[in-house]
Parts: sequence; structure tokens; C-alpha cells
Amino acid sequence: MQLPDSGKGNLSVQGDLLSPGAAAMSEERRALNDLFSLTYEELRRLASSVKRGDPSATLNPTALVNEAWLKLANSPHVGSASCLHFKRIAARAMRQLLVEAARRRNSHKRGGSEDVKFITFDESLAQAASCGKELLALDSALEELGRIQPRQAMMVESRFFGGLDITETATLLGVSEATILRDWRAAKAWLAHSLREAH
Amino acid sequence: MDSTQWERMQALFHQTADLPHGEQQAFLKSACGGDAQLMADVMAMLDADAREASVLDSSVAQVANQVLCEDSPPLAYREFGPYRVIRVLGEGGMGVVYLAERKDLGSLVAIKVLRDAWLSPARRERFASEQRTLAQLNHPSIARLYDADALADGTPWFVMEYVEGSPLTEYCTRHQCSIEERLQLFRAVCEAVQYAHGNALIHRDLKPSNILVKEDGAIRLLDFGIAKQLESLDASANQTLTGLRLMTPAYAAPEQIRGDRVGIHTDVYSLGVILFELLAGQLPFDLSNLTPAEAATIITEHEPGKPSSMGKLKSTVPGAASVGKIAWGDLDVLCLTAMHKDHQRRYRSVEALIRDVDHYLKGEPLEARPDSLPYKLGKFVRRNERAVSLTAAVFVLVVGMVVFFTVRLAKARNTALAEAARTQRIQKFMMNLFEGGDEAVGPSDSLRVVTLVDRGVLEAKTLNSDPKLQSELYQNLGSIYQNLGKLVQAESLLRSALEERKSVFGSDSPETAETLVALGLLRDAQGQFEEAERLVREGLDINKRKLSPNHPGIARATSALGKVLEDRGAYDPAIHVLEEAVRLQTPSGGPTTELAESLTELANSHFYSGHYAVSESLNKQVLAMDRQLYGERHPHVADDLINLGAIQYDLGHYVEAERFDRQALDITQSFYGKNHPATASALTILGRTLVSQGKIDEAAGMLREALGIEEQVYGKVHPRVAGTLNELGKIAQQQGKLDDAEADFSRMAEIYRSIYAGKHYYIGIALSNLAGVWVDRKNYGEAERLFREALQLYSETLPAGHLNVGIARVRLGHALVLDHRYPDAEPESLAGYEILTKQPSAPERWLQTARADLAQEYEASHQLEKAKKFRAELAQGEKRPPLVSAKN
Repeated sequence: MQLPDSGKGNLSVQGDLLSPGAAAMSEERRALNDLFSLTYEELRRLASSVKRGDPSATLNPTALVNEAWLKLANSPHVGSASCLHFKRIAARAMRQLLVEAARRRNSHKRGGSEDVKFITFDESLAQAASCGKELLALDSALEELGRIQPRQAMMVESRFFGGLDITETATLLGVSEATILRDWRAAKAWLAHSLREAH
Repeated sequence: MDSTQWERMQALFHQTADLPHGEQQAFLKSACGGDAQLMADVMAMLDADAREASVLDSSVAQVANQVLCEDSPPLAYREFGPYRVIRVLGEGGMGVVYLAERKDLGSLVAIKVLRDAWLSPARRERFASEQRTLAQLNHPSIARLYDADALADGTPWFVMEYVEGSPLTEYCTRHQCSIEERLQLFRAVCEAVQYAHGNALIHRDLKPSNILVKEDGAIRLLDFGIAKQLESLDASANQTLTGLRLMTPAYAAPEQIRGDRVGIHTDVYSLGVILFELLAGQLPFDLSNLTPAEAATIITEHEPGKPSSMGKLKSTVPGAASVGKIAWGDLDVLCLTAMHKDHQRRYRSVEALIRDVDHYLKGEPLEARPDSLPYKLGKFVRRNERAVSLTAAVFVLVVGMVVFFTVRLAKARNTALAEAARTQRIQKFMMNLFEGGDEAVGPSDSLRVVTLVDRGVLEAKTLNSDPKLQSELYQNLGSIYQNLGKLVQAESLLRSALEERKSVFGSDSPETAETLVALGLLRDAQGQFEEAERLVREGLDINKRKLSPNHPGIARATSALGKVLEDRGAYDPAIHVLEEAVRLQTPSGGPTTELAESLTELANSHFYSGHYAVSESLNKQVLAMDRQLYGERHPHVADDLINLGAIQYDLGHYVEAERFDRQALDITQSFYGKNHPATASALTILGRTLVSQGKIDEAAGMLREALGIEEQVYGKVHPRVAGTLNELGKIAQQQGKLDDAEADFSRMAEIYRSIYAGKHYYIGIALSNLAGVWVDRKNYGEAERLFREALQLYSETLPAGHLNVGIARVRLGHALVLDHRYPDAEPESLAGYEILTKQPSAPERWLQTARADLAQEYEASHQLEKAKKFRAELAQGEKRPPLVSAKN
């Protein structure tokens, strides 16, 4: 089983990964789901060690993705995929994970459910909320960029969410490193501008 | 914005970006040629480029930290149903565990909550799976599940026993435990793990931090988060994923690291590492500061040192230094056998490991000592070796099923409330099942299983909105009813299941086939063999069309067909079909319960065909297999001994038969206790053998004891009661207590009549035996009436050439001869004689009776040639040793 090839646009972000109860879940979907859960749990674990003040723990997505790759490399449905494809999917998983989390955060803040009582820590909550909002804005700006220039959107996603470096991104997208550098700068500028407008 | 505009914007951005700030505006103004929007956009981009302050410039790590970390535990839940949260006990990738108290009772519990349940179905499934696992386990050393529910937002949680204690290694260090104390604690851990294995569960994440020791020294095994049900060990995405959870591979077995199949041996390995740590005071491998890849290499390739050579403990533990060299050698062997890289050379079960711990503690030689390594004997111990009685197995099955469906239900629900209430009800029901433990067996428990199943049926009937689930429940509950002897209830459920499955899955689906086969086996139990055969064949045909040739469903249906053929007396076809079933079920991996069952049926078919040698060798094969599968003293082993005894009995070797029967009784009695129906059966069988040796009084005592048990357990009207009455009746008849015999056989007939609605050849057997009493009373008229009634029943229920028909006709003929009605007798004796001679193994006694009678009949009608022929045969028969089959 091959993970989805790059450039065919079949990694559309719309809810696929999260839709529950898809009866005949394809191998591919399952791989994504696994990866998604894995990324999430690794992130969680690292997050709680950061919070506990464990100095050796860092929330470094590159290390995270590399570690996840090592672990998944032996599994039957990931084995045949290249590390780069894996990382690209991990980036997608990470994006989706964070965006979903931010979305939840937002909706809780707006009202939440009646029977759940939250212990509130106002300061950190406010901080998280503003960060979450920015993330949501970034997500929709990326969506828009994806419609106009998919390659660039994928580049941003891979670099920002997946921690791919310039060389890896260039290889993944099949362009020169110079192109990546140029595209990155322009996309970043436009996205930053869009985010400010969204505020 | 479209892509052309975006291209232009980018081009302009790149041309302008590196110009001195003052020149940018002028350049753009001329380049944009009056397109104010374009100019504004590019200016905004340039502005953003210069500022470097968007979220994109922070690392994703910071973002993740903000949106994920700051919510928990601060943004935590305070109440779960009747529980109030006190504090956070711990958190991991899956969820948070809280210490909470029940508001009404004040008792402390631990509540596990799945964090961010919305994230993925895979995670919800894993959480549910842990809950399912805990629900299945009821052992003093395993933290119990108390309750489960979900919050209104769908976040699932469950309540467990709160264990106040410290991790195993920490406890030992703090209490300065001696080697022996450490081994005792370790042994307790092993027992808990073995219990889980007995429930077909492997833990897969055994480590000291998952084993808490309370201050009183009692242990609790925690965290079945990645436990695995053994039935579903096929490589699956799920397995891969759960295997990944291990962040610290210190206790992980090589096969876990490699992603190979895991099993009981995986837990044995982890136990080995734990023992190593307990004995040596350190882990076998130092994996700190290694990358996962490096750690993997060490675990899969490096041999660990001996615990005795680590020696850290010797200096810190009182008494450790005084353990002798030979004893340390034993401890090394214990650890390293459990931790062997090749899982085939580890202890084959936790029980084997416990045995060696016990040997060590008693100063006996170890089984795992290299000169007597168990693997050399090729002893194959199966995962399910823990003796689980039928009752307990049914119990576990019902419970497992309810839990399983509860979870399925939870998944299937779309709108929360109504369904949630139902889920909760079933969960409550399921919880109730666990009250009182599952280990004790005996009549009261089997009765409880019935009530339990009854309640399951009531629950199932409320599930009209989910016909798939409902039909599955009906199917399973129906089969359980059948096993419990409740044929009427079984029938109604299986019929409902069939209808529903036909409409939901189609009449050609494997699901429908499964029910057809089950219904066929029910018909078989009801003695309706033609219908049974038709149903099973239909199911088998569907399976052959719809399933891959190696699918176990085909083997199962084939085996069922063989059983039906055997029961209807078609032994040759039965043998053919059962051989096919055995072929399909003979796996590369060794014996299985299903294979043993098919082999048993095959042995029985050969037995009924009079192929005693073949049957004996097959039964011995099954016996060896069952001993491997279940251990020496398991009811299955007793069944095999009974079958071997039956062969000896039929061969006339009553002393040998008695030996087998007594062994079987001993095993059965010690397994089930004195008042269990299984004990009653074993008593009945031994009684029969004793009768044949003339030990009538002892036999009568045993049979009456059996009858008492059966009446108490099954009630007065049950086939088992009838079977025992038959044996008692025969004894009474032999003792000349004809009134007793008449009473027994009459009751037997009544019971069969009411159970089988007047239509079963068993009724004929009872009538025929009752007729025999009237023969003894020389009331031949009554005897004839009863024989003829029996034959009428046989003609409706058995093939004309059936052994029972032959015997009854011979007996009728004999009664008529005694009544001097030779012309009436002749056709009966002759027909009976002909049927018997065609039997592969006719009872010599009745053959001889037929010959003597025929001779007398022909002499009376002066057909002396014919009479002479039978006289000669009769004389021949007397010379023949009684054990030779009548075929010769």
C-alpha cells in the first residue's frame, strides 16, 4: 500500500481524517488515522513533560516527526512509503490536530456545554485563546492560498507544521531550493498580512 | 484574488522587497499603473515582510504549547455523574486520570477520561477497548472497573478502583524486601497476568509503574490501555499503533520492537525483565540516552547479563548476599528463560513461570534448568491452559458479549440521549454480572448463567433500531441457550436471528450461513436430523461460495455437518466430512480447540462404525492434544478418558473401562465439585461399567447420586435425568426389582415425550426398555404393545436399517417366542437379525438372541434347514470371544 502521492491533491483537508464511523475505512485512511493519533499522543506526552518542567523535553516537531517515522517505518502499511511522504502527512496531521484543538478551544470559550464545569485559569486561557484564533486565521488563509497556488500552500504546511527544512521541501515539491526560499518569503508575507486583517 | 493576480503580486513583491525602503513606493506606483488595490496588497506584504511578527515566525511548538497544553488539568472537569474530582492522579497521551470521590458514599475512585475524544475514532476505540478489557477482568490483583459513562459532549470516562500504593520496584526498595519477599510479590503479579491470559488477554505493557503494591503488600495490576484480545491478533493497523505507545522500551519484548506477532510470550518476557530488575536492582539493558533505533538494536540483538552478576542488590538487600551460588544460578535461569530472545524458548506460559518460582522457593530443581528444558519435550502449552470450566466460559462469553455490544452500541449512536440511556442500562446490567466473582462453579452458577442469559435476551429485544446488533445477540444467546439445554428458547432466538440476518445481510451472506449452521446444530440436538443436515449444508454452501477457502467459517460448518451426519447414523459420510474438517483445521501452529472437537467427532464416528482401533488411536491423539491445551486435569481430558473407556467397554474389557471411567470421575469431581451435572454424568458412566462387571450395588449407588444431582440442577424433566433413569431402570431390572424398573423407564418415556413433543426415537428406546420389564413379568401382550409402539416411533424418526430398529425387532420377536407365537415372531426376528448383521458393530447379545429365536421358530414350522443354519451360527457365536465385532 502506497501513501498518497504528492501533487494529486488527494490530501484535501476537509474533515476526512476526523470523520467518524466511516465503515469501509481504506488502508490509506487508516494509515492517516494512525499517524494522526500517534502524532497527537506524542505531542501530548511532550507537552506534559514540558509542563512538568522536564528540561530534556522540547516540543520540537522535527524531532517528533522523525521519532514517529522511526516507529512507524516497520508497520506494514507505512513501510513502503518514503520518509518524505510520511513527513508531509505528519505535517498535515499536525495542522489538523492543532486547528481542531483551537476550534474546540474557541467554541468552549464562546459557551461550552452547560453541565461541564471548568476550572478557569484566566490568564493562560486568554493566551491560548488568542493563539488559537491566530491559528484558525492561518488555517483559512492557507486554505485560500491552496486554492490559488496549491504547491505554495503545501510548502507552508510542510515547513511550518511538519518542520521540513528547505532541502526536504525542495525535494518534496520538485523545485529548487532558491524557489522555495522565494516562495516562502512571499507566502509568509501574504499570510501575515491576511492574519492581521482577520483580527 | 486569483492565481494571475497572485503571480503579479508575488512578482512585484520580489522586485520591490530588496529595494531601499524609500524607493519601494515610487517603484510600485509606476509598476502597478493605477491599480490601487494591487499596490495596497503588495505594500501590505512588504510591511508584513519587514515586521517578522506573525504566527508563522514563532515555532509550531509554541503554538502547540498554547492550544494543547494550557487546558489540562486547569481546564479540567470537576464532576462525572455521581463523582466529584479531588485531584489529578496522572496524565498521559490518552487521557487524564483523576482521583474522585462518590458524592453520596464518599468512597474514593480513580476516573479515567479520554482527552479530546473528538480527535479521532481510533483513539475512542482504544479507550473503549481498555474499558472492555477491564470489564472482562475480575481478579483481586487487577484494578476493577466500577462504572462508565460519557459526558454530554461525548467525552467517555470510566471509573476504576483507586489503588493507593507504590510501584513494585519502589516498594521493594523502600521496604528492603528480601529476595524471597520479592519473589512472592512477583508471583502475585504473575498470577494476575495469568488470570488475564486465561481470559485471552495479553497486557503488553507490563512494567513496575503499572504494578502498584499497597501498604498491606497486596498488588494491583493497572493500565490495560494497550491490552490485546488474543482472538484478534492478526496484523492490523490498530496493533501497529498500540504497539507504538511504548516510549520507554525497557520492558518491551524483541517481537514488540520488531512489530512481530505478540502473544502470551510477550508478557512472559516483560515479567522476566521485571524479575531481573527485582533481583539485580537494575534493568538488564541501559537504554537511557539512546535513540529509539539504538534501543531497538540492543533489545533485539544483545544478550542480557546474568542478574547475579549485576550484584547491585547484593549490597543493598538484607540476606541477598547469603543466597548461595547454586540458588543464584537458579534465579539467573528463571529470569533469562523468561527473557529469551526467541519466544519459543521462553516459558510457554505464565503458569510455567510460576511453577519454577515455586520450585525455587521450595528448593526444588527448576523445570527450566538447561538439562531439562521444557522446550526439549516439545510441550506445547496453549494460551488458554488455565482451566476454565464450561460454566465460567459461558459466563465470560456472555459478559464479553454484552460489553462488546455495549461498545458497539456506543459507537453506533448518533443522537446522544436515548441511546446513551440504553448503553448505560446495558452497562449497569453488565456490571451486575460481575458481582460475586466468576471463579466459583457449580449448579448455582449454571443456574445463574441461565438467568443472566434471560436478562440478556430482554435487553436484546429492546434493540429494534439496530437489527444487525440485535441479530448478532440473538445468534449468540441462542447458541448459549442450546448449550444450557434450553432448546425451546434457543429455537425462538435462532429463528429470529435468521430472519433478521436474511433481511439485513441477505440470504446468501456468511452471517446468514452462520445462523443456518447454528440452527442446524439445534435441530441435531432435537433429533431432527434431516432438517439439521439440510440447514447445515445450506450454510456450508453459502460459506464455500462467499468465503475464502481457508476461512475458519468453512471448517466450522464442515465440522458441524460431520457431527449431524454422525448423529443421524450416517457414519461413512460423517467420517469423510470430518476428515475434511480436520484437514481444514490442522494448522501449522499446533492444536486448537476446534481441531480437538472435530477429531473427537471423527473418533466417535469410527467408534460407532466399530472401528475400535482407529477410534482408540484418534481418541488418544485428542487426549494428548487436550492435555496440552488445557492441562492434565481439565474436563475435556475427562471426556477423552470417557471415550477411551467406552471403547474398552464395547470391547468387553470392563476392567480397563473402569480404570478410564474412574480417572474421568476423579478429574470431573475435583474440577466441578460433588454437585455438578458433569460429575453426575461421570458417575452414570462409571455406574454402567460397574453393572457390566456385576458390581450392581455400587453401581446403583452411583447412579442414584447422579440422579439426585441432575434433578436438583435441571429439574425433574430433562434429557439428562431421563438418561440416568434409563441406567437405573436397567439395574433394577437386573436385580429383579421390576416395579422400580417399570417406574424408571416410564418416567424416562414421559420426560422424552414432553421434551420432544412425542417425536423422538429416544421415546422409543424408553418404551422398548419398558417392554423388557413386561417380558420379565411374562406379560407378553403388554410387552408386544410397547415394542410395537416403539417401532412405530422409530419408523417415523429413524432410517429403517437403524441399529435401534434391529434391536427392538429382535426383542419383540423374542417376547413372541416366549409367548410361543412362533409364526408372529419369525418376521420380527428375521428382520431384526438382518438389520443387526448389517451393522458395523451389533451387540452380540441381541444377535445371539435372534439366532436362538429364529432356530426355535424354524424348528416349530419344520423348516429344519433354516433352523440348522441358525443353530450353527449360534454355536459359532458362543465360541467367539465376546469382543469381536459381529461383522466377522
